[in-house]
Amino acid sequence: MPEPKTPCSCSSNGNMNRRSFLRTSGVLATGIAALAASLSPLRELTDYTSAEQFMQKHYKELSKDDMEKVLARITREVEKQYQVRPHVRDYKPLDGVEFVYCLNLTRCIGCRKCVHACVAENNQSREPEIQYIRVLKMPHGSLDMEKGDHNYSPEKVPEKGFFYMPVQCQQCRNAPCVKVCPTKATWTEPDGITVIDYDWCIGCRYCEAACPYFARRFNWTKPKIPKDRLNPNMSYLGNRPRKQGVMEKCHFCIQRTRAGRYPACLEVCPAGARKFGNILDPESEVSYIMRNKRVFIQLKEELGTSPRFFYYFDV
Amino acid sequence: MIAAAFLVLALMFVRDVPGRAVRPLAPIPLVDLKFIDPAPNRVSIGENLLHGGDASDYDCYVCHERNKPVKLNIDTNGNIIVPSEHKDIVMAHGSHNRNNNCFNCHDENNLDQLQTRDGRVLKLTDLSPASTPQLCGSCHGPTLRDWEAGVHGRTSGYWDRALGSYARLSCVSCHNPHSPKFQGRPPAPGPHPLHPVARVAVESGRTE
Repeated sequence: MPEPKTPCSCSSNGNMNRRSFLRTSGVLATGIAALAASLSPLRELTDYTSAEQFMQKHYKELSKDDMEKVLARITREVEKQYQVRPHVRDYKPLDGVEFVYCLNLTRCIGCRKCVHACVAENNQSREPEIQYIRVLKMPHGSLDMEKGDHNYSPEKVPEKGFFYMPVQCQQCRNAPCVKVCPTKATWTEPDGITVIDYDWCIGCRYCEAACPYFARRFNWTKPKIPKDRLNPNMSYLGNRPRKQGVMEKCHFCIQRTRAGRYPACLEVCPAGARKFGNILDPESEVSYIMRNKRVFIQLKEELGTSPRFFYYFDV
Repeated sequence: MIAAAFLVLALMFVRDVPGRAVRPLAPIPLVDLKFIDPAPNRVSIGENLLHGGDASDYDCYVCHERNKPVKLNIDTNGNIIVPSEHKDIVMAHGSHNRNNNCFNCHDENNLDQLQTRDGRVLKLTDLSPASTPQLCGSCHGPTLRDWEAGVHGRTSGYWDRALGSYARLSCVSCHNPHSPKFQGRPPAPGPHPLHPVARVAVESGRTE
């Protein structure tokens, strides 16, 4: 029985028969599904950069009015995300102040309270975990960093035969991280704090590679902070919540120290091993330490980074 | 022979195609708030009395009799025998029994008071810098000098004295005067590595 001849039975003239229609539509459907699957991460991208933030100038070029707008935007964003109204400020360096940190290795007992007080103060991500301070357990008689262990978890600290050496950003006078930054998103302020503008950081991680102290941390994923543990006292260059893809590090608690207070890690130390102050003031605690104590190193002194973080011993 | 070798290699390759199963990691627990509490090590008797704490234990003359000297018992090794009424006191101040006499610090004529080595008398409840630190400093001179400069012990509050006040802890806020050496304490949890394999290794190493 001959098939009834229809106008579209022949594929050679560009018309479509049933088979080629099914084939084409099958390929098309697969293609669209694949495209949709490949774009699906975009759907999860809820905290995209706002136009306002994208057009924002560099920190040093912001006028007073600009800064007020920026702080208002950050307040709005934080409130939307955490339902906590923050107090965001832009603290400027104080005149005649250069900050120096001194840490007494004789006194440190390795309890790691400083690590967690820092996390609580500076709104670091809890999962994945970001911490600015690493406490190294080192055997007596050596300052070889290779022998340091930061995963120690004995019943009780301090352990016999070891001393403990907390390491954090050393706030170098000759900071390698600042030199390598391609966008000038990190720089050293007049009071000695090396800061990061999280809105200018492009996340290239050159600074992380350049830092000899493992002081810089990268936000690989969106930081997670429980609402009830958010510290609402924030500063632009300091502890305001970071976004995915930017670097962060210790900034001597800029929101506290530029308001005249001691950093959080110092105030929680049960051994009084941490000392902080203005080195330009001859009456300050750090000046006394420099004059009277065995201030033995700047860590990895031979690299010429000239840290503002000093380790010393009693007696 | 070669074919067999290739077959084995192919099998090994196929076997590992799905890769190692990734165990879902347990969420990182939030740190216990005691690890971010800035309160000092201990509450001294003086602080307890000043802030209206329970003072019933600290009135010496409930048990002792006034104007009657207290006799100290020392064993043959030179260690003081702490009477059972004071069994909460661990005498461990200084090594080699160099400080085994209660009346090195307590005033034998008035047990409510303390005395320095040069005869100054101090009140137990006086927490000012002119009190306990002077008592301790009558032996620990260099430490007192450091403390007065703000370098021994913790200072909290404002580093910039023009902007706010500061608080300095007294000796007995951290040290137990009868056994002043710091006791060991459990450390706060250590870091959790970012990479899952490293994290599993570290976490399993910790529990062992």
